[in-house]
Amino acid sequence: MKFIVCIKQVPDVSAPIQIRNGELSMDSDRMVINAYDASAVEEALVLTEKHGGSVDVVLIGPDKAKETIRKALAMGADAGHHIALEDGAGLDSAAYASILKAFFEKQSYDIIAVGKQSQDTDAGLAGSMLATHLNLPYAANAVGLELEDKTLVVKRQGDTGQEMIGLPTPCLVTCSNDMNNPRIPSLKGIMSSKKKPVETYTMDSLGLDLNSLRSDVVKTNTQSYKNMPAREPGKKFDGDAEELVGTLVNLLQNEAKVI
Amino acid sequence: MSTFLVFVATSDGKIKRSSLEVLSHARSQAEKRGMLLAAAVVDTDATRYSDEIQSYGAKTIYAISNPVFKTHLNASLIQALSTIIETAKPSIFACASTEATKDVLGALGASFNAAVLPDVASFELTDNGVSALRPVMAAKVLSQNTATGDLILISVRSGSYDSAKSPVTAEVKNIGFQPSDFAAVLREILTSAGEKVDLSEAQVVVAAGRGVKDEVGRKLIEDLSEVLGAAIGASRAVVETGLFPATAQIGQTGKVVSPQLYFAIGISGAVQHTAGMANSKVIVAINKDADAPIFQMATYGLVGDLFKILPLLTEELRKLK
Repeated sequence: MKFIVCIKQVPDVSAPIQIRNGELSMDSDRMVINAYDASAVEEALVLTEKHGGSVDVVLIGPDKAKETIRKALAMGADAGHHIALEDGAGLDSAAYASILKAFFEKQSYDIIAVGKQSQDTDAGLAGSMLATHLNLPYAANAVGLELEDKTLVVKRQGDTGQEMIGLPTPCLVTCSNDMNNPRIPSLKGIMSSKKKPVETYTMDSLGLDLNSLRSDVVKTNTQSYKNMPAREPGKKFDGDAEELVGTLVNLLQNEAKVI
Repeated sequence: MSTFLVFVATSDGKIKRSSLEVLSHARSQAEKRGMLLAAAVVDTDATRYSDEIQSYGAKTIYAISNPVFKTHLNASLIQALSTIIETAKPSIFACASTEATKDVLGALGASFNAAVLPDVASFELTDNGVSALRPVMAAKVLSQNTATGDLILISVRSGSYDSAKSPVTAEVKNIGFQPSDFAAVLREILTSAGEKVDLSEAQVVVAAGRGVKDEVGRKLIEDLSEVLGAAIGASRAVVETGLFPATAQIGQTGKVVSPQLYFAIGISGAVQHTAGMANSKVIVAINKDADAPIFQMATYGLVGDLFKILPLLTEELRKLK
């Protein structure tokens, strides 16, 4: 099986964030591989180690983002594809899905794996948009993958229970970070990643034009950011367990009136 | 007159609470803009919900009934919603954000070349489209977004709006439906014992975190949830250790819940977790660490040992029944 995993470089969301004049400002400029994408890479590696095959990764981003391709190669992916985009400002999920569509139309693959969402925007749209553009069967929010001959068996987390879905290849799957813990690249992996091939594509080489993407495909825009409204802290009690329980039951009954 | 279409999701013969919240907010928005409020229902027997839907003000109900909708498969839901969108020709389509709608929203956006605003905390119609707030960056901040286009799709986080009735008499349109020959096949659904109550729809949730530690702690959680008729939730920490099933996970990567009453037990309150429960009406936190961030948002906070507090609390609540 040939996997191609779509990966994205994102800011480290665990770093402190401030908002200045409606714009985000982060204490750290540290950029990382999107955690959900890292799980998709990991699962593709596990399946190819077991059943044979190869894992490519593709990333859209500036030159600096190639470090994230190297990270995936160090984990064990075989080859990288870098779609060069120095300034992605103003592009939405639909635009990224269109760029990936143009890329995949020139590739051969059995399974496209992507993170279920990006940890910076949490939109979770690009995967199913791409599957629709490529007319592929897909499953979202996978928490486990298995291969049976030419079928990818996806365990997906649904609203109630987990749904087992058989997808004939070629297909697409969006991955949760709950399915595995991505491996930390070994020193050997890091050394060998430097010799692995990374091919670069331009918008031009994919037959795309950024201006027409911005005018024809993009339909949503992020205007500004603001702080999450905080809940008012309520009442806090300390004491022995019996006293605490008596206080709580009284408040739930007579003040909040929820029991 | 342009149409505002709301997908009303059902589960086990009931309309989901989160869908009624969206329908209620959609009604007020549609009224302000002079739009027709319509609802889409897709179920094994979709017309049985008409009375309840019209009591929330939908003037047209598009119903698709077929046995395939007993279970969820993205391909069949996409086909049904596409058929309704082609018939109703809405300018706005909204739904509650659930695992089922997250599974289809991008596909609908791509096939209709529509603007999509997923998982919004609030939205309103403007002169040239929709303006919406979305939690981003691990739910640490809100982004202000706009969408424009002939069709705008929106999914709304549960608990963002209150549901309120406003009865009308609706016209019900039954739409014929023949499922296509889908490539993807649903083989089976695995449910665990803890899923007796649907977590995302529950009115009371008892959620466990790292402080719950072991089987003894889990039993205390189960006892409390039983006496309250509550659904059991969990933070990522205790799902990873295998103490609670993945289906119970609440937070940024799990479910979003908005019950009337939420118990955060042994949960420190990291933003990755609170992103999934901040819309709860009353929050009770029990934690032995007096500085745990969860106390910053709890309505009632108890600083103490959950292994001592929970047996007493369960006992007291049992007496009330």
